[in-house]
Amino acid sequence: MSELTTPHAGDDHAADTDVVSLLMRQHGDIRNLFDEVEAADGEERRDAFRRLVRLLAVHETAEEEVVHPFARRGLTGGRQVVEERLAEEKAAKETLAELDDYDTDDPKFIPQLLKLRKDVQEHARAEERYEFTHIRRSTDSANLAAMAKAVKAAEAMAPTRPHPGVESGTANMAIGPLAALMDRTKDAVRKAMDTG
Amino acid sequence: MTFNPLEQRGIPLDRQLRSWRELNVDPIDPDHCDPYTRCRVIAMNGIEVEAIMFSHQLARNTVAPEVKQQLARTRYIEAQQQKVVNWLLPGVASVLETTIAYEQVAVDLTAWVARMEPDPQLKQAYQFGVLEDFDHLYRYANLYEMIEHRKAESIVEGLTEVMPGRPTRLHHRDPVDNVRRPYARDETHPLSKLHALTIMAAEQQTMNFYMNTGPTYMEPIARQLYQEIGLIEEEHVTHYESLVDPGETWWEQLVNHEYNECYLYYSFMEQESDPKVRAIWELHLNMELEHLHLACDLMRRHDGREPESVLASELPDVLTFEPNKRYVRELLDTQLDLTTLGTGYVRDAHERFEQMQEQIHGGEAPPSDRVMVEHGAMFGREYRVQTEGDHPDPSQREK
Repeated sequence: MSELTTPHAGDDHAADTDVVSLLMRQHGDIRNLFDEVEAADGEERRDAFRRLVRLLAVHETAEEEVVHPFARRGLTGGRQVVEERLAEEKAAKETLAELDDYDTDDPKFIPQLLKLRKDVQEHARAEERYEFTHIRRSTDSANLAAMAKAVKAAEAMAPTRPHPGVESGTANMAIGPLAALMDRTKDAVRKAMDTG
Repeated sequence: MTFNPLEQRGIPLDRQLRSWRELNVDPIDPDHCDPYTRCRVIAMNGIEVEAIMFSHQLARNTVAPEVKQQLARTRYIEAQQQKVVNWLLPGVASVLETTIAYEQVAVDLTAWVARMEPDPQLKQAYQFGVLEDFDHLYRYANLYEMIEHRKAESIVEGLTEVMPGRPTRLHHRDPVDNVRRPYARDETHPLSKLHALTIMAAEQQTMNFYMNTGPTYMEPIARQLYQEIGLIEEEHVTHYESLVDPGETWWEQLVNHEYNECYLYYSFMEQESDPKVRAIWELHLNMELEHLHLACDLMRRHDGREPESVLASELPDVLTFEPNKRYVRELLDTQLDLTTLGTGYVRDAHERFEQMQEQIHGGEAPPSDRVMVEHGAMFGREYRVQTEGDHPDPSQREK
């Protein structure tokens, strides 16, 4: 096995001037974290799972605040496309909430995680194929860049990788304050969109 | 093992048609499947596509309406088989992740065939080609990490290494130098015919896949890389198809195709780890046995010869997907600097090769080199999977 780590979207040296590329790389980051949770156990699994939940929360919130509203307004048939994506997100959040009831070492945890993984992966590909392609086609590079900036602002608000000195804080954070995290993310995105 | 497909009867043709419900197969799970199950699916799809296209060509060269009708009946079943096999691939997989699996097929299938090939000239042709597929895997793996932030290792799972082969920019040869000398149909080992058909079909499917899916990407580097490697697949199809003796009659070729399908379905059935997929290999084997008998009848009728005269008396050892790391490393160590001249191989860049290189590159770095530069700018390193240590060639080690 190679020791290479792929940095998260935003942490690599990509120009990040296109919201679609950025979100597609983030879809990969989420998939990587699912791999990590599945492969780990004990405290490591707990930690990887928390990082996964945070990234999912930030990613989905940023999409709901940045790209879905644009798609709804800007695309022909956009309302329908976005309704379908939101329904998928809602289903995934419900699975996530059920998952929250188990300890990561609970035998029921992995089957539930695999269900979530399947939902999330199908949702991500549906976005890429039915929403993102149309977004790229129907807007200019300035707008793609502005949306990328807003998504990055969301991440800065809620770092999804432990930064030096805050590992224990991250590790101790239960999934409980997820709603608060989503609210903070929303605020950050809105602020970035206003000033962008 | 003694499995002689000529002595087995399969499912009668008029009972082979499947309904929508039966065609609607459950795809494999891209994140948890056996990587070699995915390889078998991709390889078998290539075989079925070749079966369909060969039958179409034969039909276009056939005058008798009743023969055309019989070809159409079998071909429709082959088309259903292709649908079932290729639809085992999951919709959630991206084109690029499927591409990496295609290159894993190319590496491990070609390397295995090279190891088992009895004819030294044919063996050389596979050894030459596999070092190019190996380099394609490495280039696409770097593109994959750039676009999807995923590692090729999550697809190949350490079964196949990912590192430089013969550099892709050097694969662009004068088309004349891609034509090899064919085996002699009456002298060659029956296994050699099956090998040539298998690799030709696999490379042809890869060519078709890249030529059709490449433009679905929006990222300029992805579009360009698919264009470049797509053109090398054209060279590979030329290379491998020229190994097959063109003196084989149409009917003899049809028999070889059907026999090869029996061989491969039997092989895959023997080694398949996924029970649902294994059931498909078994069912399709039982269909192919009947296709083989029908083809044999056509050969007897039209060529006035016994199919036994061109076929092996029993199936060769099963064709196996397994790691070939040590073998590929040996080739990397000894054959990296080869190119072709006429129907042979040379170590020096000759005039015709240089001319082609000059024209196609136009003084610029090709997409296969630029993808590495762009990847380096994004991550400050390359993407490789070297499970067995450093690259055998010191000049190809990561700086």
